[in-house]
Amino acid sequence: MEERTRAYLRGRFRDHYRRTELTLPPAANEREWGYIPWTEGPDTTMVRHRSLLELGDLEEFLVRKRPRHVYFSAGRFRDPGAGSMHEKDWQSADLVFDLDADHLPNVTLGEDSYAEMLATCKDALLRLLDFLEDDFAFEDLEIVFSGGRGYHVHVRDESIRHLDREHRREVVDYVRGIGLEFEELIETETVAGLGRKTPTERRTLRTEGGWGARTHDRFMAFVDELLALEEEAALERLREFDGIGEGKATATLNAARNNREGLEAGNVTVHTAVAQLAERFAERAVEADNAPIDEPVTTDTNRLIRLPGSLHGGSGLETVRLERDEIDAFDPLVDAVPETFTGHEIRVDVADGGEVELGGDSFTVPEGDQSLPEYVAVFLMARGRAEKEKE
Amino acid sequence: MERLHARYPFLEAAREAVATEAVDLATIVEQDGAVVERATQRVVTALEDGEIGDARRDPRTELLSYPVARVLVSLVDEGILVRKYARAEAEAAYERFTADFEDTVELKSVSSSGLELEDLLREFDLEDDVRSTDGGYRIGVGRYLPLAAGLRDDRWRLVNRALSGGEVPIEDDELHALLREAIRGRIEEGLPFAVPDAIATSLEDEAAEIREVLADLELTREIDTVVPDLFPPCMKALLDDIQKGEHLPHHSRFAITAFLTSIGMSTDEIVELYRVNSSFGEEMTRYQTDHIGGETSPTEYSPPSCATMQSYGDCVNKDDLCERIPHPMAYYEKRIEQTDEDDLEDWREESGEPAAGD
Repeated sequence: MEERTRAYLRGRFRDHYRRTELTLPPAANEREWGYIPWTEGPDTTMVRHRSLLELGDLEEFLVRKRPRHVYFSAGRFRDPGAGSMHEKDWQSADLVFDLDADHLPNVTLGEDSYAEMLATCKDALLRLLDFLEDDFAFEDLEIVFSGGRGYHVHVRDESIRHLDREHRREVVDYVRGIGLEFEELIETETVAGLGRKTPTERRTLRTEGGWGARTHDRFMAFVDELLALEEEAALERLREFDGIGEGKATATLNAARNNREGLEAGNVTVHTAVAQLAERFAERAVEADNAPIDEPVTTDTNRLIRLPGSLHGGSGLETVRLERDEIDAFDPLVDAVPETFTGHEIRVDVADGGEVELGGDSFTVPEGDQSLPEYVAVFLMARGRAEKEKE
Repeated sequence: MERLHARYPFLEAAREAVATEAVDLATIVEQDGAVVERATQRVVTALEDGEIGDARRDPRTELLSYPVARVLVSLVDEGILVRKYARAEAEAAYERFTADFEDTVELKSVSSSGLELEDLLREFDLEDDVRSTDGGYRIGVGRYLPLAAGLRDDRWRLVNRALSGGEVPIEDDELHALLREAIRGRIEEGLPFAVPDAIATSLEDEAAEIREVLADLELTREIDTVVPDLFPPCMKALLDDIQKGEHLPHHSRFAITAFLTSIGMSTDEIVELYRVNSSFGEEMTRYQTDHIGGETSPTEYSPPSCATMQSYGDCVNKDDLCERIPHPMAYYEKRIEQTDEDDLEDWREESGEPAAGD
């Protein structure tokens, strides 16, 4: 990045911070703050271990320093400005989730457009919220578009702020479905043999919550799909599964037809084929429902996270707090474009052009010297794809 | 009351009872041979058998032997002893309270000297987070996770639980196991502590005896040896990638850094190791390593297990030993064990770096 570009972006970030009101996170003075200034080269050094007291009034600080990136800690400390983690004296930490397009399995880097990556990420966000709101029943959630490639969720419920790294890893594994053992989802009961001499085991899928419930939902949806089919089609559908032949297919279809309530109750003893199939649906549930969050962000209780309301120095977009009911309609490439950068054009020299979707428009940007809407120009400059030209 | 305290000496009330006995520990260890003897037995049996031995009939001796046992554990000052001792005490308490619970079920009307479930829940501030349901209990997930963390079986993993509405359903015996964990945590808390010289001198012989038992068990060797050649294949591969200057995904960098931290490497040393043969930006490495390693994070911190490595696709080049171990650390421990001590060349000595992280 050339000095002129850097100076321009710094200036415009300052203009933005001058006209923006920021909301501080709760207990802001117990948190560590950090920022990355506009400096030369891609290797940037974070200035960290700062307390709010040292920064002074945050808005005034942002106007004065107009940093490239601003962060605050998930952790709360007795002495947040101390130079080492030990001296900081950790008290508790928000539980933070990071969904980053870079880490999503169904994103093809270099092939999917920015808009497509963000849409995939929003789907993952909704799946994550399903876990956080239903399974965990968290109440204090802050949902944020990161300004870059994804979304953050900050959970601040008192009941989980004390959890350490190891416990948080369990939360990560839960939402990602890592370590799921089908056998552990099964409850085994010994029941007196009905008309049999020896007692027998009844094995039931735990349907009241967790991955057991998700597995069950998918399995029952499949059962109902079978019941809606003609016999031959249903059998064929069953035989598509590995290890399900003629006999098992027939047995399963019979179980579905004659004992749907048994299956509904989670009973997998109906036939060995049923248990075998249900296990497949556990795998499918994980594949379809898991939220591919970035593990280290959640497990690191000292992590610094981008400040909502600040600008992302790698995109020029705003880090936007979202209300729960705003998520559906939220379009990051429109709604996170800072108003400061709209309404006029500036001149830039584009080195790396191409399609840019931003502000509700699609631009085919050629390489070379040109005038572009400022938000497009800022985006390209922040990404290192363009340099500022003299006006 | 004293009898209850003698049976459950970790209770807050028992602690207070000891404090108001107006006896000072220095006098006891000097004069009360029976207490010291029982205290030593608690610790030695914990090491040898995972139990604390038979209780003395005299409740006072029994009760006072507990704080003295804690002094002994502190004097010897070994992590493994603290863990084994706490486990044995918790196991003893578990046997007692489950027996007491049975009694209260059978003799509802009799107010026994035993402990009831409600007492124990209240002791650990769990009464609002555990509620009784049809056929079991539900416990708040924020309380469940720390209590279940020390339990190894897969069924305790949150991913395998029917979590809903912020609560984990558990069965009777599972609640009891979690309470045992709460007790274990309480007993480990604050151990080891600094022991005044006068007391330490009186207990020299007992401490020496425990050290001997410990040495016989050969449990104390903590890994602090860095021999990259003996690393498990997964960690070797990750380290190679880093040294080649390749960009690793977060979870991979996390895994290798956690591994290196666990075998006793400091941030400085990790930076040094990563930098071999590459132009990897030191500033960035240092930042990330401090960040990932948590510098001096509030918790002890362990690398991912084989299962987790597999699920992230970081498990590569598996060899025979891999088949027999559940964790990359276990692999490395085994390899170090199998190698003649004289043949181990610590990377830190080899590279001329200071061995201690200073």
